Amino acid sequence: MVEDIVAGIIAIGAGIAIGSAAFATAWAQKTIGAAAVGAAAENDKMFGRGLVYMVIPETIVLFGLVIAFMLIQKM
Amino acid sequence: MFRPREMKRTVIIGSKNDLEKTIELLHSLEIVHINDYVSDDKEDEVRLGTPMTQASDISQYLLKLRSNAQLLEIDAENPLFSAKMTESQVKKDIDLKIRDIELSVLSLVETRARIEEHLKKIDDRISQLKPFAGIDIPLEKYRGYESIAVFTGYVRDLEKFESELSKITDEFDIFCSNDNEQMVALFISKIFAEKVMKLLPECGYTEVKVPEGKGLPEQSIKKLIISKQELSEKLEQTKNELLEFRKRNAEFILSSEEYLSIQVQKAEAPVRFATTDHSFVIDCWIPSHDLKRVRDVLEREIDGALYIEEFEVKHEENPPTLLENPKPVRRFEFLLDIYSTPNYRDIDPSFVLSLIFPLFFGLMIGDIGYGILLMVFGFIFMKKFKDSEGLSNIGWYIIVAGIFAFIFGLFLFGDMFGLAFQSSTAEGGHTIYSWSSLLGINIPIPSLIHKMEAFGLTQLLVISIIAGSLHLGLGLLFGIVSERKHNPKHAVAKIGLIFVLIALVLIIFVMADWTIGQWLAPLKQSVVAPLLWNYIIPSVKAGIYFGDLLIPYITIICGALGTVIILLSTGGFGLVEVLEITSHLISYTRLAAICVAKGAMAFAFNVIGIGLIVSGNIVLGIVGVILTVLMQLIVFALGSLSAGIQAIRLHYVEFFMKFYKGEGVKFTPFKYVRKYTTNE
Repeated sequence: MVEDIVAGIIAIGAGIAIGSAAFATAWAQKTIGAAAVGAAAENDKMFGRGLVYMVIPETIVLFGLVIAFMLIQKM
Repeated sequence: MFRPREMKRTVIIGSKNDLEKTIELLHSLEIVHINDYVSDDKEDEVRLGTPMTQASDISQYLLKLRSNAQLLEIDAENPLFSAKMTESQVKKDIDLKIRDIELSVLSLVETRARIEEHLKKIDDRISQLKPFAGIDIPLEKYRGYESIAVFTGYVRDLEKFESELSKITDEFDIFCSNDNEQMVALFISKIFAEKVMKLLPECGYTEVKVPEGKGLPEQSIKKLIISKQELSEKLEQTKNELLEFRKRNAEFILSSEEYLSIQVQKAEAPVRFATTDHSFVIDCWIPSHDLKRVRDVLEREIDGALYIEEFEVKHEENPPTLLENPKPVRRFEFLLDIYSTPNYRDIDPSFVLSLIFPLFFGLMIGDIGYGILLMVFGFIFMKKFKDSEGLSNIGWYIIVAGIFAFIFGLFLFGDMFGLAFQSSTAEGGHTIYSWSSLLGINIPIPSLIHKMEAFGLTQLLVISIIAGSLHLGLGLLFGIVSERKHNPKHAVAKIGLIFVLIALVLIIFVMADWTIGQWLAPLKQSVVAPLLWNYIIPSVKAGIYFGDLLIPYITIICGALGTVIILLSTGGFGLVEVLEITSHLISYTRLAAICVAKGAMAFAFNVIGIGLIVSGNIVLGIVGVILTVLMQLIVFALGSLSAGIQAIRLHYVEFFMKFYKGEGVKFTPFKYVRKYTTNE
């Protein structure tokens, strides 16, 4: 019984970890993406740079993934 | 292969009498990158060159030719011929031919425009006459009365109008259109005109003005339609003539346009040189490898009248970049250009990119079915866009990535379209479809890693970290090599980072102890076993426990050593890079994440689709087949897109940041890429 509750709380924790990380990534990418498209519209050469800046925050969600994974392992 | 071609700055000085010939020679050599001369106000003697005298004439011909090509709608992408013309063929009577073409095109286009205008006028007239066609009154009878007012137009509520009208007076004549439209012509004494005008809006009246002219409208329309037909035939004929003309002359127009463009390019070249009253100076970059050839040709052809001197590259100079790679690798240079053109001192990562990009992509997709689809799709893409350099390159990447996805699918994951060939033997309980269970035959392709199991995910994460550490290590090595000369401090800091990287990887290895133990198990019988189990593994595993976490001594030593090296070489600020490399290493877990996410999506769709197919109901079965195909296509499209973006991102962000500077100038030789003509 207690183990079930512990497992449930771990699962919720894992969910919060990846969910909030994904939200943060999306937020960061939203801002950068809008600016990058604007820059690329003015200068084609900015496309590659823009893409690079745009994908930088993606690492945040991976931190969430790793933490979630480590939590799930504890279940 | 790993460095751009070595360049030499070369200055060519000569007499203006030899200018034209020099330009001709440099253009034919196709290996000289000219530096534009920027005029300096302080030097009165040296000025910017002026275009050759023939430049403006040629430009004018070119202008005419291009406007004709536009009028004829000649499509340069889709030429109607394949044989190339020689330059002397094109040159012959070029001015006469261009004038001829101009006259013919002008007269044809003018005729076409005249006919089209005429047709438009006829259409206008017909639409004006049309409302009156149903009323048998000649047009001239609508006008010219002293005491009668005439109203023409549509009346929505005709019955009300007539009854109200009869209340005003009975001295009127009303004609209704006989073709069911509510077109009305009312002739009424001018005395009642005012009252009628008040009444009309109440009955939904829209005025239609009587067109100019005479005669019965219906007859006029008939006549107009006949002449319209005649004109349309004429128009068709003119259009055909234009098409014929285009067919006959496209070859000449395209090839002479090319010829003239080359001439203009040569004639305007002096604008890029420095000149004095009697001499010229060409400042250019030439690959060291080709320098001797250029020198020989120039000296032989101009008889030693040119002064040529070459200089070593100076530190502050930024020579253009000319990469040198075999053809399959050269296609990947495009990915570098999207990021930023490599500069002269950069290491050329195209070769690494051409190997690792498809490798990462293949690992993320890892499926025989999608691999084959990718290859087919890439092949079609390449064929379809063979004219566009960028798009055909992307087609090539898709093909190579497909090959790798196929290999990973066959040897590592053992699955096709998200379905394993053999059922999973791990504990789970519920039935999972596999190709073997569905087809009823045993397909002997094992899955070494099951994407959908927790253990599989752990294995994939460890593989990702190993791949990441090797990739980052290579990037750091490149960084050390490229910075060792002009920025030794940074090069040393990168050595420190390599130590930190080793420390990090070891912690992760110890954490994934059990997984790696499984991989090493087959080695237990081999000759390396004593070395591994007696020395390497114990030495890695020796360490201090922090709660559950084991920190190996080697990690502590490497980490401390690396940090000290970084601190000594770049100061406290360099420690940011320690954090950066940690996040970069974790960033590679996306390889596992995408792989599993895509696998899970395909798995979920398969459970839905195949469940329907094997349900036994025919209707459900058909729905299942359609659903499965659609959902597989979705997985394929989404998976390939995200795998492509993530694979390139791992290069752009994690890998390139370690050594790649970019912002180079592309080597653009003084030449023209011929499509329709040849030099001979």
